[in-house]
Amino acid sequence: MKWWMLCKVAWVALQVNLMRSILTMLGIIIGVAAVIIMLALGAGAQHEVDQQIKNLGGNVFVVFARGRASSGARGASGSVQTLTEMDAEAIEQQIPQVSVAAPTIWANAQVIYGNMNWAPSVRGVDNRIFPAQNWQLAQGREFSAAELSSAGRVAIIGATVQRELFGASDPIGQTIRVDRTPVTVIGVLEAKGQNTQGNDQDDLIFMPLDTVRKRIAGMTLASPRAVRSLIVQVADERDMELVEQEMEALLRQRMRTTGTDAPFQIRNLSEMVETRARTMQIFNGLLAAVASVSLLVGGIGIMNIMLVSVTERTREIGLRMAVGAEPGDIMRQFLIEAMLLCSLGGTLGLSIAVLVTRSLEKFAGFTAIIQPEVVLLSIGFSALIGIFFGYYPARKASQLQPIDALRHE
Amino acid sequence: MSLPVIESLGLTKTYRMGSQQVQALAGVDVHIQQGEFIAVMGPSGSGKSTFMNMLGCLDSPSSGEIRIQGENVTHLSAAELARIRNRYIGFVFQQFNLLPRTTALDNVLLPLLYRKDHDGNQDFATECLRRVGLEQRMDHHPSQLSGGQQQRVAIARALVNQPAVVLADEPTGALDTETGLEIMQLFQQLNQEGKTIVLVTHEPEVAAFASRQLIFRDGRLQSDKQVKAESASEHLARYRTQKQQEGLA
Repeated sequence: MKWWMLCKVAWVALQVNLMRSILTMLGIIIGVAAVIIMLALGAGAQHEVDQQIKNLGGNVFVVFARGRASSGARGASGSVQTLTEMDAEAIEQQIPQVSVAAPTIWANAQVIYGNMNWAPSVRGVDNRIFPAQNWQLAQGREFSAAELSSAGRVAIIGATVQRELFGASDPIGQTIRVDRTPVTVIGVLEAKGQNTQGNDQDDLIFMPLDTVRKRIAGMTLASPRAVRSLIVQVADERDMELVEQEMEALLRQRMRTTGTDAPFQIRNLSEMVETRARTMQIFNGLLAAVASVSLLVGGIGIMNIMLVSVTERTREIGLRMAVGAEPGDIMRQFLIEAMLLCSLGGTLGLSIAVLVTRSLEKFAGFTAIIQPEVVLLSIGFSALIGIFFGYYPARKASQLQPIDALRHE
Repeated sequence: MSLPVIESLGLTKTYRMGSQQVQALAGVDVHIQQGEFIAVMGPSGSGKSTFMNMLGCLDSPSSGEIRIQGENVTHLSAAELARIRNRYIGFVFQQFNLLPRTTALDNVLLPLLYRKDHDGNQDFATECLRRVGLEQRMDHHPSQLSGGQQQRVAIARALVNQPAVVLADEPTGALDTETGLEIMQLFQQLNQEGKTIVLVTHEPEVAAFASRQLIFRDGRLQSDKQVKAESASEHLARYRTQKQQEGLA
């Protein structure tokens, strides 16, 4: 019998027991949808992590100042400033593997423009922050030397701040108030989007170090050139470990501490992100494995229904054999039926997966990427399940004796 | 005498039922010529059904031979037997065995679909349906047809592959008297057109329409005689008149 005729026969057979066919397909539908959704979420998370590592500037350490222990009670991180701009210069000069070390201070302040107000994170920086964290300017310019040395009243704003305060209008040259200090906007940063923790990375304002130190109040500074953290970029990823050791030694020496309780802390951000990503990948892998089990269970359901179908249609098989169907014809007929069930189920599962990932992206803020090879793989895999689990029932049908099949009640 | 269309030589069949051996057929020789109309009779368990199954290549003998147009088909594989059935045998069953939810035309086309060299031409299938008087109902499903019409579709299906012999197993068993007579009338007409027909029945009234009667008993051929066939058309006419008179009375 020709292939298209077999497909037509299979299609009619599936329609005859429509409800049963749909219920049978349900296992495959759920299995395929679950596998695709899990893999899409996994790929999405991986994509975000890659993006974030890229945004972080790749090979970056952050050195935090830690509250010095005084009479047993330690203040919050950064409450007493032990790191200084000189430490940044020392790291840059004495550790050749370091490409840039950017000192930063941060504070929170209310920012007002016209009748709009917003509370972004305020960072005191110099121009080294741009290479250290891979910031690009969308508009305007970096800080000038004069602005940096004289606590100039200027600011470079993040994309979120621009959107919230200015909307569509041009912010360059406009004056905003940061707490009580009026400052002029000289630049806008290019957007980076959310990080994996879901924090908006564009909700910030850059101002010169001295401006934040002197004009944005509320900081206890141990030294006039104290900073809260250093962002240290290493030229070559392979030197990370070496740089960490040298930096530790250098800073201890500069601060004259030897004990276990150093007044600073070195963190490797991309490592943190990667650890998180690895955990997520393991989690997603587990979910995908569970989803595959449901695909397997769906396959067993197909086998079960195909066996029922063969038994129910024994007389039909007998008749087909009597009028000239060879065992191979019968075998193909039932195999195609099982494959059709599975491929239909796989296609429906794919559609559901697309719908679910779209709505997860839209309403829950997930990033999900359905890779084309995953689609091909899952549809192909479900057809394969059809062949695998359809084989036994089909073989059983083809090996019936025509005379027994015809007499079957 | 010309070459028989189909013949059995020393045909035996032994079944094993538990520890007991049951001999369903014990050496049967039958030669069937082109154009014969044969009734196979006998009580149940006489071996007539086993004999028919072997003529139809649905079952294989324990020993002896089946020859179709001189060719021994006894030791062929399942696939080869399927091709033989497809080429040389047309089946009509007591329960019609039509595919449900499939039109009359598609049911008739079924044997052709299993033929590798078939080009999808439906003309002859249409012609067969016309021959059994159902050209108006080609697109009807079996559930939309009466029992007699369903059996006619089955007969058209048995004719579509232009078989050497039509095997009918109790074709009137599931039909009322009048419809049964109509079906027998159709068989007689087909026979007059040259079709070879072998019919299994346990009703002597049905067997009377054949021109040769084989009677089986205990796995052996008890008698094989030529008889003068009665006319199904006359019986049908008589039956209808009688029924009409009963209706008036």
